[in-house]
Amino acid sequence: MPAVKETIEDVKKLESDKYKYGFTTEIEQEYAPKGLDEDTVRFISAKKNEPDWMLDWRLDAYRRWTKMTEPDWAKVKYPPIDYQDAIYYAAPKTGAKYKSLDEVPKELLDTYEKLGIPLREAEVLLGVEGAEDKTAAEAREKPKVAVDAVFDSVSVATTFKAELKKAGVIFMSISEALQEYPELVRQYLGSVVPPTDNFFATLNSAVFSDGSFVYIPEGVRCPMELSTYFRMNAQGTGQFERTLIIADKGAYVSYLEGCTAPMRDEHQLHAAVVELVALDDSEIKYSTVQNWWPGDAEGKGGVYNFVTKRADCRGRNSKVSWTQVETGSAITWKYPSCVLRGDNSQGEFYSIAVTNGRQQADTGTKMIHLGKNTKSRIISKGISAGRSDQTYRGLVSIHKNATGARNFTQCDSLLIGDECGAHTVPYIEAKTPKAVLEHEATTSKLSEEQLFYARQRGLGEEAAVALLVNGFCREVIQELPMEFAVEAQSLLKVSLEGSVG
Amino acid sequence: MTLPVKLSPIEHGFLRDLSASGSGWRAELREDLEARGLPHRRVEEWKWSDLKTALSRVESGQVPLTVSASREPDERRAPGDDDVMAGVMPRLAAALGGDASLYRLERQDDVLSLDIEANAGTGHTLIVVDVAPGISARLDERYAVTDASLANIAILVRLGSGARLERTIEQAGSDDGVLVVTSRIELGTEAGFKQTTLGFGARLARLETHVIHPGEGAKVSLAGSYLLSGKRHLDQTTLVHHTGPNGETRELFKGAAGDRARGVFQGKIAVDRAAQKTDAEMQHRGMLLSDGAEIDAKPELEIYADDVVCAHGNALGAIDDDALFYMRQRGMSETEARALLTESFLAEPLDAITDEVRRDDLLAKLRTALEALT
Repeated sequence: MPAVKETIEDVKKLESDKYKYGFTTEIEQEYAPKGLDEDTVRFISAKKNEPDWMLDWRLDAYRRWTKMTEPDWAKVKYPPIDYQDAIYYAAPKTGAKYKSLDEVPKELLDTYEKLGIPLREAEVLLGVEGAEDKTAAEAREKPKVAVDAVFDSVSVATTFKAELKKAGVIFMSISEALQEYPELVRQYLGSVVPPTDNFFATLNSAVFSDGSFVYIPEGVRCPMELSTYFRMNAQGTGQFERTLIIADKGAYVSYLEGCTAPMRDEHQLHAAVVELVALDDSEIKYSTVQNWWPGDAEGKGGVYNFVTKRADCRGRNSKVSWTQVETGSAITWKYPSCVLRGDNSQGEFYSIAVTNGRQQADTGTKMIHLGKNTKSRIISKGISAGRSDQTYRGLVSIHKNATGARNFTQCDSLLIGDECGAHTVPYIEAKTPKAVLEHEATTSKLSEEQLFYARQRGLGEEAAVALLVNGFCREVIQELPMEFAVEAQSLLKVSLEGSVG
Repeated sequence: MTLPVKLSPIEHGFLRDLSASGSGWRAELREDLEARGLPHRRVEEWKWSDLKTALSRVESGQVPLTVSASREPDERRAPGDDDVMAGVMPRLAAALGGDASLYRLERQDDVLSLDIEANAGTGHTLIVVDVAPGISARLDERYAVTDASLANIAILVRLGSGARLERTIEQAGSDDGVLVVTSRIELGTEAGFKQTTLGFGARLARLETHVIHPGEGAKVSLAGSYLLSGKRHLDQTTLVHHTGPNGETRELFKGAAGDRARGVFQGKIAVDRAAQKTDAEMQHRGMLLSDGAEIDAKPELEIYADDVVCAHGNALGAIDDDALFYMRQRGMSETEARALLTESFLAEPLDAITDEVRRDDLLAKLRTALEALT
């Protein structure tokens, strides 16, 4: 098979220049001393001027973490992580908080500009309403997205805060929220992912530095998309962000998350926790485009992405939808889940995961049906290329009282090249006869006939592959908000570049 | 986590019976048992079948199994290293079962039937079946474990190239017995293996089948039906490992669980990098008949070859209300309609049995069990 040989060569050629976010920002930063002990936890808490209960909460988590062992059940391989050989806090030196965008150092604004997140433009467009007709018109046409930009351990800017406040929406970094709305944070923090949950979540509970906090009050439909952009910059640091989103009764919010990191030879650890709380009749749509530096073609460097994401559909008729496009990270360990507690609540999981080079991904979802007439839908599309390994690992559990529950799961895997692996490990548990569960999975390769057809119509090899892969992922891409769908499609193309001979 | 475990009387009993001087796999088994004990729900492969707890009421102390075979074994010998499969239970069967019984199926249409019973203590045995190249043969097994006892059986089947074997397994229902049957089937090139199971569960019954599939025109079909009542538990675990190209595998498992019974299906198809052009499909369908029943399933694919067609499906639910309504409209009582629908659902995997007599026998047993249930 000459195609195979070409694939191998092409994958080898897949240089890091395909990863356009691999640059570093030169900015003076302040660090916590290397290593992790109670003092590190106290240092972070003090930096953020946190209330005492928060420090105690962190210390409890830290003490528990020291007694826990790292999970080893996922189908990923990596050398042991030295948790003492990392820096747990890094922030631009000019001060952790900026009152307005004018105070934000130019280097940072430039960084986000380069990443395609123009913080200033967004704010300016709003601020100068009517000043220049053209700009204002553009502003109206372009759907507004409020951005919380997190740089290493701190949030540097949050846009559209004022406009959101008018609607009653609280959107700020979790450090700010701890100052301004401590009671609200205290009520919900750790209520979905308790500090005792798992090794990485416990570590996060001890050392989390920043992340976003969103509260949508009763009956409010959030007037714009909210988004957080995570950027790892400093060398030898880990990023431990914590996101908490609460949709009160009848509220709706669509939230987007994006991530990138510079190219570095060493591995960087990213252990985040995301908690979603959906009360009666509310809906949260959470979309992620994860594009952390995946390491080079030989597996050197890259981000270890060990993330705990969980939604608690606490209220009746509540709905949470996770959509993820996973193209980055050297190792992904991530299972966005829904606890369907409220009667008639719904959980959805739409995922596209692409692995290339030496990437390893063990990802999937858990749908825990507790309430009556709860529904869940899982669509997972995995594409493995190069020498990567990918596993879908999922759980659908229907409890005794979840009468009328319904689940549909579809996991499809596509293999490109004969040096990669695709695995499916679904766990299905049914404890009531009044539920219906369906699960389908397929593994196949790109169809030669379809490729041939597309090429006959004049498409180049790579364009043809991109077209077919896009078709394969169609059901998931449809679920993404507009801007993300476009980004996702081009990401898919870039991620698979050079993978087909 | 490797915390030292507290061993149960039965585990202490096994350790006493294992000679301390053993080396190789015997020494490994001893170490394994000392360090981890018998499989329980914290062990991934046994997460839904807690063998350790199920054995709590079984008296330790060996009582040989009653094995009635259609003929004498061709040879009895101490288990060699090649006869022993990995895993605590098959190793225990080899270590504590005395001499292994070896059967050679060498004539066309040879039929071997094995009837294994236990009713007290713990019993182990290792059986080796060699099927000569090019012939077609049959292996019919029946297991009946009553009262609080354990029957632990390891079966190793080797098929020569071009050989065909049709295996049927009947597992009689039991409320108190514990049964573990671990089989490993090694196929030669172009060989064919077809297995059909009918199980009624026990306090805990596990039928675990590993098939080493060389590809190269070899075909594997695994099918099974289960009907569970009371508090019975049946675990059917399969692994089909494709090691060479052009192999085919079909799996169809269907089952129903009533009362407070629990059905478990764990199916895995593994495809090595060399096993290009593998065509594999696995289906499990389960029906829950009452509120306290539970069915757990893990249909797994582990694939390293790109040019393959592999699929699995799993569906769990209850009797189709529309079908029930239709039948009742045609004058059938609800009980009759339910029985008929359940029967037709469960009979499908058994249809694969080629031998009419054996098939009708198993279908009749299924029907009797259904009547008792309703």
